[in-house]
Amino acid sequence: MRRHFIAAGILVVVITILTYAVINFSGLATQMNPVAASAQAGSIDALWHFEIIVISFLFALITGPIVYSLVVFRRRAGDTTDAAHIEGNSTLEITWTVIPLIFVMFLAYWGAYSLGETRRVAANPLIIQVQAQQFDWSFIYPEYNIISNELHLPVDRQVVLKMESKDVIHSFWVPEFRVKQDVVPGRITEYRITPSLIGSYKVRCSELCGTHHAYMERPVVVSSQADYDAWIKEQVALAVEMQKSPEGVGQRLVAENGCLGCHTIDGSPKAAPTWLGLYGEHVTLADGTVVTADDAYISRAILQPAADVVQGYQVLMQPYPFTDAQVASIIAYIKTLK
Amino acid sequence: MKSFWRGLVTFLIGAVVGYALGVILEGTVTGSMKFNAPVASALAFLFGFTALAYLGGKHSTIFRGLFWQVIGTFAGALLVTLIRALSGKDVFGPFFFTEPAWVLGGLVGALAFLFGSGIMDDWIKWMRGIDTPEHHEERYSGFEKYINVSLDHKVIGVQYTVLALILLCVGGLFAMIFRTELAESGLQFLKENVNVFGQNGPQLYNTLMSLHGMVMIVSILLGLAGMMNYLIPLMLGAQDMAFPRLNAFSFWIAVPAGVLLLSSLFLGGFDTGWTGYPPLSTRAPLGIQMFFLGVFVAGWSSILGSLNILVTVVRLRAKGMTAMKMPIFIWSSVAASIISLTATQMIGLAFQLVIFQRLLGMGFFDPAQSGNPVLFQHLFWFYSHPVVYVFVLPGLGVISELLPVFARKPLFGYRWVAMSSLGIALVGFLVWAHHMFAAGMNEYLRVPFMYSTLLVAVPTGVKFFSWVATIWQGKLVTPTAMLFVLGAIVVFLLGGLTGPPNATVSTDLHLHDTYYIVGHFHDTIFGGFVFPFFAALYYWFPKATGRRMNETLGKIHFWLMTPSFLVLTVGMMYIGMLGMRRRIVDYDPALGLDATHLVLTICGYLIAISIAVFLYNFIHSIKHGEKAEGNVWNSRSPEWQVPSPMPTHNYDQPFEVVGEPYDYGLEGSKYVQFTKSASDAAGKH
Amino acid sequence: MHSQDKSSALGQGVVIFIYLAVLTVMEYFIAILLDAISILIVVAVVKAALVLYYYMHIYKLNEEDADHDPHSYVFKTATNRLGLWLFLLSDGFLFAGLLVVRSNLLGLHRPDLNQLLGLVVTSVLLISSFFMNRGETLMSKGDVKGFMRNTVITFIMGLGFLLGVVFVEWRTAAAEGLTPSFGSVATGPVGGVFYLMTGMHAFHVLTGLIFLYIVWNNARKGVYTAEKHFPIEAAAVYWHFVDLVWIFFYPALYLIGKP
Ligand code: HEA
Ligand code: HEA
Ligand code: HEC
Ligand code: CUA
Ligand SMILES: [Cu+2]
Repeated sequence: MRRHFIAAGILVVVITILTYAVINFSGLATQMNPVAASAQAGSIDALWHFEIIVISFLFALITGPIVYSLVVFRRRAGDTTDAAHIEGNSTLEITWTVIPLIFVMFLAYWGAYSLGETRRVAANPLIIQVQAQQFDWSFIYPEYNIISNELHLPVDRQVVLKMESKDVIHSFWVPEFRVKQDVVPGRITEYRITPSLIGSYKVRCSELCGTHHAYMERPVVVSSQADYDAWIKEQVALAVEMQKSPEGVGQRLVAENGCLGCHTIDGSPKAAPTWLGLYGEHVTLADGTVVTADDAYISRAILQPAADVVQGYQVLMQPYPFTDAQVASIIAYIKTLK
Repeated sequence: MKSFWRGLVTFLIGAVVGYALGVILEGTVTGSMKFNAPVASALAFLFGFTALAYLGGKHSTIFRGLFWQVIGTFAGALLVTLIRALSGKDVFGPFFFTEPAWVLGGLVGALAFLFGSGIMDDWIKWMRGIDTPEHHEERYSGFEKYINVSLDHKVIGVQYTVLALILLCVGGLFAMIFRTELAESGLQFLKENVNVFGQNGPQLYNTLMSLHGMVMIVSILLGLAGMMNYLIPLMLGAQDMAFPRLNAFSFWIAVPAGVLLLSSLFLGGFDTGWTGYPPLSTRAPLGIQMFFLGVFVAGWSSILGSLNILVTVVRLRAKGMTAMKMPIFIWSSVAASIISLTATQMIGLAFQLVIFQRLLGMGFFDPAQSGNPVLFQHLFWFYSHPVVYVFVLPGLGVISELLPVFARKPLFGYRWVAMSSLGIALVGFLVWAHHMFAAGMNEYLRVPFMYSTLLVAVPTGVKFFSWVATIWQGKLVTPTAMLFVLGAIVVFLLGGLTGPPNATVSTDLHLHDTYYIVGHFHDTIFGGFVFPFFAALYYWFPKATGRRMNETLGKIHFWLMTPSFLVLTVGMMYIGMLGMRRRIVDYDPALGLDATHLVLTICGYLIAISIAVFLYNFIHSIKHGEKAEGNVWNSRSPEWQVPSPMPTHNYDQPFEVVGEPYDYGLEGSKYVQFTKSASDAAGKH
Repeated sequence: MHSQDKSSALGQGVVIFIYLAVLTVMEYFIAILLDAISILIVVAVVKAALVLYYYMHIYKLNEEDADHDPHSYVFKTATNRLGLWLFLLSDGFLFAGLLVVRSNLLGLHRPDLNQLLGLVVTSVLLISSFFMNRGETLMSKGDVKGFMRNTVITFIMGLGFLLGVVFVEWRTAAAEGLTPSFGSVATGPVGGVFYLMTGMHAFHVLTGLIFLYIVWNNARKGVYTAEKHFPIEAAAVYWHFVDLVWIFFYPALYLIGKP
C-alpha cells in the first residue's frame, strides 16, 4: 500500500505543477489580468496568486488519487469480487475537517487584511463626483467646476470618487484598477483608488442597467501630474468659453444630464433617436403622425417625453425639469448638429 | 400520444390565427401593419394556448388545465379592465390589457389551471365532508398516464423529470441564441432595428439571457423534485409519499408556473437578469411581472414538495431504518428540503414587493420615497444563495450513492458525509451577502460574510475527501452512469475551488459581475446538478422502464459534453478576468476576446449536440432499449432487490433494514431483508 | 386523555387567556410610558411561547403514536400534524421577512396610528383565540354542539378583526394621509409597509375564516368525533398561528418607535 501512496503523492505533485504552469501560461497566475494600474491592485493580486497556488494544489489533491485509482485499481476483466471492506477512519475525517478549517480561517484573515489594504486612506485625496445614468458616466471636478465625459486622473495620488446614480444601479469598474463599486440611486457610494500606471483605460459599467448596459463605457486617462494640470486648464478654459454662447450652455447641460447616454450626436442609433440633423426634420411618431422637429416639438420632447413618442422607441426617458431658458439653450445646441 | 400531437398542431394553428388577428387589430388601431407587433404576439400566445387546450383538452389533465388557464387569464384580466373602465382609468395597455389586468389575469389563470384540471377534486370533496379512497386506481396507462393526474410518486417523479428536461432544452435553446450573438463582437443579428415581440435586438438579448437563467433554475428544481420523488419512497420502503395529493399538486402547479414564466417573452420581455434587482425591475416592461409571478408560483411547488419530502422521511421509514442507516441520498434531500421549505418564502416576498411597488406605487425600493434598493438584494439572496445548495445537495447525494456501487467498496465515512450535507445547508443560510460585496452595503459586514462563506468549503471538502477515499483501492468499473459521476466530481471541484476567490472580498471586487462568475456557477451547477442528474437518469432508467439506455450513445454523450463543457467554463473564467462583463450583448473588440468567444460558442453547440444525442437515446430506449429487469448494477439498495419496472404499489412485502447501506465487500451482509417469505428478488444478494 | 383532564384543560385555557390579556395590557402601557423596545420584545416572545404551548399544543409533535400501523387514524394524524407544522414554519419565514422589511425601512419610526384602536383590534383577535381553544377542547370531549357554538363566536370575532382592519383601520389611516405610496426621507415608505403587513396578515385571517367555516360545516354534518377530528385541530392551530403572527405585528406596527 505504501508504494501506492507514494506513487499517488508524486502524481499529485505533478498535477499541481502542471495546473499551475497552465494557468501561468495564460498569464493569470501571478496576477489578475489585465495589467495592474493601481496601488490597490498589489495586495489583491498577491492574494489571488496565493489562491491560484491553493487551487492548483487542491485540484491535484482530489483528481490525482482518482486518476491513479482509475488506472491502477480498476476492475480487471473477469474479476467479479468486491473490493476491500473499508468503512471509514475517524482520524482521517477529523484531519480533513480541521486542517481545511484552520486553512480557511487563515484565508479569511488574509482576505480581511487585503481588504483593509485596498481601503487604506491616504492624506489629501483628490475628490471627484461621478454621476451615473442610463447609459453614461459624467465626471464632475468640484474644485474647478468642470464636467467631462472622460475621467482624467493624476498618477500616484489617491482619488475618492463620490458616486451617485440618477436612475438604476450601475457599477464602476476599471479592470486595470481591480476594484469595483456599485452606484446605487438614493445614496452616495465611495470608490477609493490610487492610479499607479500612466495609460488609457476604460470605465465599464458592470451592473446590468438596461438595454444599452453593454455600451456604458467611458475613457479613463491616467497621466502625469503635469499632463493632468494641462488638461484641467484646457477644460476650465473651455468651460468659460462655453458659458458665453447658448449652444455652449446647452452642450454643458447635455453633458451634466447624461443625455448622451441614450442619444448620439453622430447619427448612429442607440437607445434613443440620434440628434444629428434632428432639427427641422420630419419625425414619425408611434401613432403614425408626422411632425416637424421645431422648437415647440423638441421642448415638449424634453419636458414631457411621454407626450409624443417617436416610432420604434419606448419611453425610456424621464421628464427633465428644465427652465425655459435651459431648454432654449439645449435646442440651440441641437441646432448645431447638422 | 394522439391527443398530444393533436394538441401541438392546434396550438400552432391557434398561434398563427392569433398572430394574424393581432396584426390586423394593431393595424386598424395604429394604421400601420407591422410584423412582431406586441399585441399580435400577445394574442398569438393566448390563442395558441386556447386552441391547444380546447382540442387537446377533451381528455387529458394537462390540456384541460392549460385551457382553463387561458380562460382564467382572460376572465381575470377582463375583470380588472372592467373595473378600470368603470373608474375611468386607462383600459388598454401596450399589450392589449393593462399591467394590473395582466397580473391579476396571470394569477387567476394559474388558479384556474389548478381547479380546472381536477387536481384538487379530492380536496374539494374533503372540504364538503366527503371521504375519498386513499388510493385511486390508475385510470390511464402508457403515455397517457404521464399527461394526466396521477397520485403515484413514481409517475410524478417521471413527470417532473420530463418537464425538467423540456425546460432544460428551452433554456438551452435560449443560450444557443445569445451565445451565437456573442460569437463575435458587434451586433450580428440582435440589432437595434430588429423587432421581435416588441423588443429590439439588445432588449431581446437581455430577455433571453434572463429567461435562460431562470428557466434553467426552475428546470433544476423540477429535476431534483423528480429524482427525490421517484427515489425517496423506494429507498424508504414506503408505498408512496406522505401526502400523495399534495405531491400531485406540487407538480401540476409547476406547469402554469412555467407557462407564466415563458409568457414574459411574449409580453415585452424584461431586461434585469434572473436577479430582477430594482429599481431596474420597477422600470422594466410588462414581461417582468409575468416573470415574477411565474417564479412565485413555482416557489409554491418547491415549498410544498419539500414539505412532503420531509414528512415522508420522518414518518414513513421502513422498520429498522434509523437515521444513520438511511441511504445518503435521503440525507442530502432532507438537507436540501429544509432550505427550500423555509428560504423560498424570502424570494417570494422580495418579488411580491416589486409587484406591489409597480402596481400600487408602494415605495419599498424607490429611493425617491426613501425606499432601499439594497433591501431587495438581501431578501433575494437570503433565498438565492441557499438555493444553490439545494441545486447541488441531492446531486452530491447521487454521487455518494453511486460511487460505492461502482467501486464495490463501502462509502468512506458515512456519518461524516451525511452530516456534511446538514452542515452545508445550515452554514449556507449565513452567507448570502457575499453576492453583495460591491453593492454598497455596510462596509464592515463584508468581513463576517467572508468568514462564513469560506466556512462552507469545510463540509464540502469532507465530501470530496470521502469520495476520494471511497474510490481509492476500489475496483472501478465505468459504465456511462459512473462516467457522469466522475465527471461530476471533477467539474464540481473546479466550480467549488473557484468559489473562494469570490469569497475573499478584495479579489471579488475584480471578479464580481464578470464572466469569471458565470464560469464559476456553470461549473458548480453542472458538477452539482447536471452531471449527477444525467448519471441518475442512466442509472435508474432500467428501474423505471425495465430497459437500459444504449451504452455507446451514452459514452458519446459523455465524451462530447465533458471536454466541451470544461473548455466553455474555463474559457468563461479566462475572459472574465480580462474584462468581459456579464450580461452584455456586445463587447469591446479592443479587449481582444473575439477568438475565445468563438471557441466558447462552438463548445456551447457541441454541448447541445451531445444533449440531443442523449434525448434520442432516452426516447428511443423507452421502447427499444435492451431489456434489463434484474439488479443491473448489483446494488444493495432496496429498490434493486425487486424486478424492474417497479410495480405500482412498490414492494409487495415490506422490508426491514438489517445492515448498513453500503457494506460492499462484506461477506454475507445485507442491507434489507424482505419480511415473510424470501422475496422473488432478481438480485444476487 | 380522560374527561377530567378535559375540564381542567378548559380551565387552563382561561388561565392562559388571562395571562395573555395582562401581558397585552402591560405591553400597551410599557410602550406609552417607557419606550423600552427590549421589554416589548421579551413580552411578545413570552406571549408567543404561551400560545405555542397551551393553545397550539406544539408538544403534540413529540407524542409517540402507540401503534405503527400506517393505516391507523392515529398514525395518519401524527403525519398530518407534522405537515401542518412544517407549513406554518414556512409561512413563519414569510412573516419574519415582513418584520425584516419593516425594521430595515422604518427602523425606530412607526406609522402614526391610533394606538387604542390597535389595542382593541388586538384584543378581539386574542379573545377569538380563547374561544377557538375552547371549541377544540370541547370537541375532543365529543361535544360537537359546544364546538360549533364556540367556533361561531371565533368566526364572528375573526370577521370583526378583518373588517375592523380593512374598513376602520385602513380608512382612518388613509384619511390621515397614509396611502400605499406614502414615504419621505425622514420616515421611509411607511404607508407601503403598513398596508403590506396588515394586508398580508388580513389575507391569512381570511383564509383562516374559510377554514373555520369548512370545519364548522363538516361538524354540523357530523363528520367529526371525539377521536377523529384532525381537521378541527388543524383549523385551530392555524387560527392560533394567525394570532401568533399578530403578537409580533402588533408591537411592530403600533408600539415600537416614534411616529
Ligand atoms: C450550484 C451552485 C453553487 C455552488 C455549490 C456554489 C458554491 C460556492 N460559491 Fe457560488 N455561485 C453560484 C452557484 C454556486 N456556488 C451562482 C449561481 C452564482 C452567481 C449568482 C449570480 O450573480 O447570478 C454564484 C456566485 C458566487 C459568489 C458571488 C460572486 C459575485 O457575484 O461577486 C460567491 C462569493 O463568495 C460565491 C462563492 C461560492 C463558494 C465559496 C462556494 C462553496 O460552497 C464552494 C465549496 C467547495 C470547495 C471549496 C471545493 C471543495 C473543497 C475542498 C477540496 C476542501 C478544501 C478547500 C479549501 C480549504 C478551500 N459564489
Ligand atoms: C441549469 C443551469 C444552467 C445551464 C444548464 C446552463 C447552460 C448553458 N449556459 Fe447558462 N446560465 C445560467 C444557468 C445555466 N446555464 C444562469 C443562472 C445564468 C445567469 C443568468 C443571468 O445573468 O441572469 C446563465 C448565464 C449564461 C451566460 C451569461 C450570459 C450573460 O451574462 O450575458 C452564458 C454565456 O455564454 C451562458 C451559456 C450557457 C451555455 C452555452 C449553456 C449550455 O450548456 C447549454 C446547452 C444546451 C442545451 C441544454 C440545449 C439542448 C437543446 C437541444 C439539444 C435542442 C432540443 C430543443 C428542443 C426540443 C426545444 N449562460
Ligand atoms: C434613458 C434614456 C434617455 C435619456 C437619458 C435622454 N433621452 Fe431623450 N429620448 C429617449 C428616447 C427613448 C426617446 C424617443 C422616445 C420618445 O420620444 O420619448 C427620446 C426622445 C428625445 C427627443 C425627441 C427626439 C426625436 O428624434 O424626435 C429629444 C429632443 C430628447 N429626447 C432630448 C433629450 C435631452 C435633452 C436629454 C437630456 C437632458 C435626454 N433626451 C435624455 C431616451 C433618453
Ligand atoms: Cu450602467 Cu450597466
Ligand atoms: Cu452564493
